[in-house]
Amino acid sequence: MSEAAFNGPGSVNGRSRWRFAVPLIWLTALLLLAVGMTTLEPLFRLFEPDLRQVIYDREHFWVLLGEHVLMVAVAALLATCVGVAAAVAVTRAAGRDFMPMVAQLASIGQTFPPVAVLALAVPVLGFGTVPLIVALLLYGLLPIVRNTLAGIQGISAEVLEAARGMGMTPRQVLLQVELPLAAPVILAGIRTSVTVNVATAALGATVGASNLGDPIISGIVNGNTAYIIQGAVMIGLLALTVDSLFEQLQPGVPGQSSGAQSGQG
Amino acid sequence: MIELFDVTRRFGDETAVDRISLRVERGEFCVLVGTSGCGKSTTLRMINRLIEHSEGEIHLDGQPIRDFPEDQLRRRIGYAIQSTGLFPHWTVARNIGLVPRLLQWSGSRIQDRVEALMALLGLPPEFAHKYPHQLSGGQAQRVGVARALAADPDILLMDEPFGALDPITRQTLQVELRDLQDRLDKTIVFVTHDMDEALALADRLVVMHEGRIVQQGSPIELLRAPADDFVASLLGGDDRGLKEAALVRVGERMQPITPKVGEAPWVSREATLNQALSLMLWHQTRHLLVVDDADAPVGRLSLDALLQKAHHE
Ligand SMILES: Nc1ncnc2c1ncn2[C@@H]1O[C@H](COP(=O)(O)OP(=O)(O)OP(=O)(O)O)[C@@H](O)[C@H]1O
Ligand SMILES: [Mg+2]
Repeated sequence: MSEAAFNGPGSVNGRSRWRFAVPLIWLTALLLLAVGMTTLEPLFRLFEPDLRQVIYDREHFWVLLGEHVLMVAVAALLATCVGVAAAVAVTRAAGRDFMPMVAQLASIGQTFPPVAVLALAVPVLGFGTVPLIVALLLYGLLPIVRNTLAGIQGISAEVLEAARGMGMTPRQVLLQVELPLAAPVILAGIRTSVTVNVATAALGATVGASNLGDPIISGIVNGNTAYIIQGAVMIGLLALTVDSLFEQLQPGVPGQSSGAQSGQG
Repeated sequence: MIELFDVTRRFGDETAVDRISLRVERGEFCVLVGTSGCGKSTTLRMINRLIEHSEGEIHLDGQPIRDFPEDQLRRRIGYAIQSTGLFPHWTVARNIGLVPRLLQWSGSRIQDRVEALMALLGLPPEFAHKYPHQLSGGQAQRVGVARALAADPDILLMDEPFGALDPITRQTLQVELRDLQDRLDKTIVFVTHDMDEALALADRLVVMHEGRIVQQGSPIELLRAPADDFVASLLGGDDRGLKEAALVRVGERMQPITPKVGEAPWVSREATLNQALSLMLWHQTRHLLVVDDADAPVGRLSLDALLQKAHHE
């Protein structure tokens, strides 16, 4: 057995110390743009030579960025809690009957267009951040539920039999065996969920949740291409940052093919 | 002591185990044999309640197993399976120390115990930090057995634990296990498909067929008087003579006279009669020189002695 070819889970730290270089590059670009968008005025002038205003200025970009991140983070946190809890519940003996229902609900959550969720949420929850977070939560649930289910169901029956046979309580089996072994697959689901929602959150601008979608919507309404580009580039960079960060966090658990099922079907 | 009274287990319409009764005394080595699907694993798993019995009663030291909380019951019972079921995300050392940790032993006590077990099972110390997927099938099985022994349980349930081992390691571990059981008075229920292993290990051999026990007794009893053709053929058919010879040591049959040195091919006193017979066939001789552990001649074994005594056993 070759030592060089194999790295245990400890190798997460042992991986190249440049492993965070890529996310750091995207993050730097994102932050520089957030504070220094105005310096690029000559560039955006090329897109809209006739307009007086080519840099979106109703709000600072770093404020929009902060709000964007916050909304996605809150939604992701809620989706993770709800999604993992639901998947865990239906893989217990007591909840097994609900498995098809939960899987189905989660799929429907994703086929439902987020715009429609927003449109339906507004009359109930009013304008602002809350309906957006609800929409993001529903939309981000599927990859997390699906991957948690896949991760838990992918654990070999022998391992679970041994765990029970050695006298672990159901709770110990869940916390010490099932979740750690499913973690890479669950994390892949969270990654998909968050990355998709970074883009989806831009719709928040249509219901009064102020974030990086604002320049885009405003650009569409006012026919200002420069605004649209500014919002889109910021969102793109944020998505790249988040995605590459997740890529580096992905642990390699021995014996379990990590990321065997990525959330995006 | 493990007792099964008319225990039945059904899966849907199928009866996997059909009204079996079995009593394994404290310190007894019980081996279950039988064709595939006859209910051996199911029987084993019912004893530690991985599978609940549908009917009948199972007692541990006189108490129904349903009186114990499941996880506490299982921590008292060592369990080793052929596929090992080692946790892929834990190191060898952590896997072995699982039950002691569940029993909240101190860290240093667990570590000592793990080291002792690794030595016992012939696992080099540097394996402690390896992960299961870095082990060969045989090494993983040894870790599985070590894990089953970790908390020093009185009762061991072993389902083909040596299935993936080479004959040499397998035999070493059989001797180890037998020895452990003799010294520490373990009660063991062991499942195997290897009839030689079964005969070598068993105090009580239990033959199962289609969910029932067809015969049980000592290996010699079963070899001598199989209840039916099924038992006879399972135990080796016409090879039963050799199988029985494998249970008797040369020392029991030799004539303790001092032979002339260099007289004949020699055989160890600890060897079995079938090995002695094989040597006679090989060397085309009717006499073997018997030596002790230090290779000093202690007696003589003739073909007549070998055959004769075998008759009035
Ligand atoms: N969980 C289960 N669900 C349904 N049927 C089962 C289950 N476990 C075992 N059986 C059935 O019970 C019967 C006995 O199975 P068991 O595993 O005890 O056989 P075995 O003697 O251990 O066989 P082998 O030597 O192949 O391991 C088989 O017919 C099997 O199909
Ligand atoms: Mg079996």
